[in-house]
Amino acid sequence: MHSKSVYKIPNGKLLKISLDYTNNVISEIRIMGDFFAYPEEAIEIIEDELKNSALNRESLLNKINSVIKDNNIEFIGLNAEGLTDGIMMCLK
Amino acid sequence: MKEQWRLLKTENITAAKNMAIDRAVLVANSEGFAPPTVRFFTWKPPAISIGYFQSLEEEVDLEVCKKLGVDYVRRITGGGAVFHDDELTYSIVIPETHPQIPINIMASYGRICGAIINGLGHLGIESYYKPINDIIADSRKISGNAQTRKLKTVLQHGTVLMDVDVEKMFSILKVPNEKIRDKLISDVKERVTSVKHVLGRDVSFSDAAEAMKTGFEEEFNVELVDSKLSEEELKLAENFEKDFFGSKEWNHRR
Repeated sequence: MHSKSVYKIPNGKLLKISLDYTNNVISEIRIMGDFFAYPEEAIEIIEDELKNSALNRESLLNKINSVIKDNNIEFIGLNAEGLTDGIMMCLK
Repeated sequence: MKEQWRLLKTENITAAKNMAIDRAVLVANSEGFAPPTVRFFTWKPPAISIGYFQSLEEEVDLEVCKKLGVDYVRRITGGGAVFHDDELTYSIVIPETHPQIPINIMASYGRICGAIINGLGHLGIESYYKPINDIIADSRKISGNAQTRKLKTVLQHGTVLMDVDVEKMFSILKVPNEKIRDKLISDVKERVTSVKHVLGRDVSFSDAAEAMKTGFEEEFNVELVDSKLSEEELKLAENFEKDFFGSKEWNHRR
């Protein structure tokens, strides 16, 4: 299944997700928008790490938080909660 | 004696070359070949730049770009799509460890925007910094800014709108829904302003650059010295233009 979401992060920027998934498991994800992330290339790490993750809010949030921590990623205008919400919105 | 930084003025440059120069100066500064550098520049032809994380084809109508002769480029900085037409664009490149630069990213945005706010003050425009990355005059946005940190070096670039054509801008930017195009245009007209609009007169690039130069000198207590790109930077910029900012792989990567 292919799905997209557009989500204005509260007090932040506009997040756009493009998602491919099968049986509630992510096969491909693109995280787009006008936010900031340091280092920028880390967004591709997050996209890779989310492949094969289940589309479950709690486990996604845990996964995203651990990738942020492991890679010393700093978001501005975006956060792990907002990113998780944007991904989950693709299911609606 | 005050610390001396380098000042570059490069007018009428293509989008790919402008972004290549910023990156070349960042690399040169990180390797110790270039001092902290402030550049003021313009774009020819006019261009759309998109943020690192944006999708080119979702944000920009490439056919309209072609028809109007508008260039496009993906930046190495995050943030949103910007239509660079009648504006003064600045960039600053400086080591992350420089005592004038706050370690905290948000604080450093505010500090660098302080230079632009001073500069606008010299043009007779009162303004303030609005986090995350805007400068507001007359309750409207007059400047947008974006920062990256690479190789232990800060690059921040941003716009000072000299004049703005919102209709033209929206003919190039894609809107989520055609039905709301007119509403979006009127909203943006309410939210964006320009030096010309605030002052009621045109200001030349050189006058604006002079005001901004003073703004940077005051903010950072330095002297900006007119200079040029080095041979090494020109070579680096040429390579970055070919391999990144002028390439389909880079611009269409998202």
